[in-house]
Amino acid sequence: MSPPETLVDKLDSPWLGVVLGVAAVLGMLTVNVLFLVWLERKVSAWIQRRMGPTEVGPFGLFQTLADMLKLLSKQLITPRHVDKPLYHLAPLVVFVPVVAAASLFPFSAGLVLQDLDIGLVLVFAFGGLAFVGIFMAGWGSNNKYALLGAMRSVAQNISYEIPLILASLSVVLMSGTMNLAKITALQSERGYWFIVLQPVAAVIYFIAALAETNRAPFDIPEAESELVAGFHTEYSGMRFALFFFAEYSNVFIVSMVATVLFLGGWSGPLLPGPVWFFLKVYALVGLTMWVRWTFPRLRFDQLMSFCWVVLTPLAILNLLITAFVARLV
Amino acid sequence: MNGYAQLACYLVLGLVLGGVIVVLPQLLSPRSIGRTTENTYECGIDTVGSAWMRFSITYYVFALIFVAFEVDILYLFPVAVAYEPSGWRGLAEIAAFLVILSLAILYAWRKGVFVWKSHRAPQSSSGPNA
Repeated sequence: MSPPETLVDKLDSPWLGVVLGVAAVLGMLTVNVLFLVWLERKVSAWIQRRMGPTEVGPFGLFQTLADMLKLLSKQLITPRHVDKPLYHLAPLVVFVPVVAAASLFPFSAGLVLQDLDIGLVLVFAFGGLAFVGIFMAGWGSNNKYALLGAMRSVAQNISYEIPLILASLSVVLMSGTMNLAKITALQSERGYWFIVLQPVAAVIYFIAALAETNRAPFDIPEAESELVAGFHTEYSGMRFALFFFAEYSNVFIVSMVATVLFLGGWSGPLLPGPVWFFLKVYALVGLTMWVRWTFPRLRFDQLMSFCWVVLTPLAILNLLITAFVARLV
Repeated sequence: MNGYAQLACYLVLGLVLGGVIVVLPQLLSPRSIGRTTENTYECGIDTVGSAWMRFSITYYVFALIFVAFEVDILYLFPVAVAYEPSGWRGLAEIAAFLVILSLAILYAWRKGVFVWKSHRAPQSSSGPNA
């Protein structure tokens, strides 16, 4: 695994590279989360004909920064009856994979922190680690709402993982690689995005990604009207902030995967690569927000049967057709 | 240092930073513990019992199907990468694999796994339901 030279290779010391890499990833994610939370509040306000945050900074842009400072000064309450190791580890188990997963994406040609040949599988694997954290939080809290939320969350996440991966498999089958940078380069070379050839897979991926990130209309795990806050009911202050950070970062990460797989990643005319990349990612994130604030929540049994009876068979069929057509051309 | 070792370092550093984020507010925040501060949250009234109790079996069935599926689908990744030179035989093999995989869904479907029955307990005993 030597070509193309990554950012880290250009530095003298690998350790410095790692530290700078983590700093870069965390910086990017933090700015993103702060911005996305603000954007979500603004989008919801626009859709509901309200103003949203306006007071702190221009257009209320620093509202989330102020919120973060407030969370930093909040007391961390540990309920008496929790399972201590599980309860304390859970936020970290949810938070850490996000950092690693975000380092795998190519933001432009050669602008990639970790250029690994199994990048796509690794992103899904790190996504899977978060489910363990969610369940640790739900079970460890010893709270009925948290347990119900975690059960629902894990059942939903593992179910929608199947169509999600099957949809990405059709792209892997077409491009013959799991390397995210190479998949992007291939689309750039051929001059079209894979969404043109794989519209069904793209739609399946998008729906499954909404469910994976526990967002409406699939936000049953934290349906606030019935479960308070779902699996993180008992978490306060910065522990809650870690869950929140991971949640919004995951929205960002699944959008990045979709951009790489279906929308050609950084490829595009005129503008430089990173600009195209982030434009596409934010377009997708905007779409998720639009969906969240316009569709009503599904019932849990509808949600599960939709995954197994509609999405998964459709994804398998799509994969078969892709394999067949790949033989013909 | 190869990419995987670097990734491992990312995980370790992420863990350390996450730890710092959790510990830091302990130094800044107020510490006031009242009589009910550490109670488990439950609508504001006194907590009834523990949450660690029996749970709907339906979730277990979903977990079972998931394990079967996820492992099989992971096998498909190397297959997809090596698909290009495999010829028509490759297509036949991938089709056979997927058809057998689909049988698992069909079986679960016929067994009624995807139709959620109401687990409501009789009025006298209020069992845990999902």
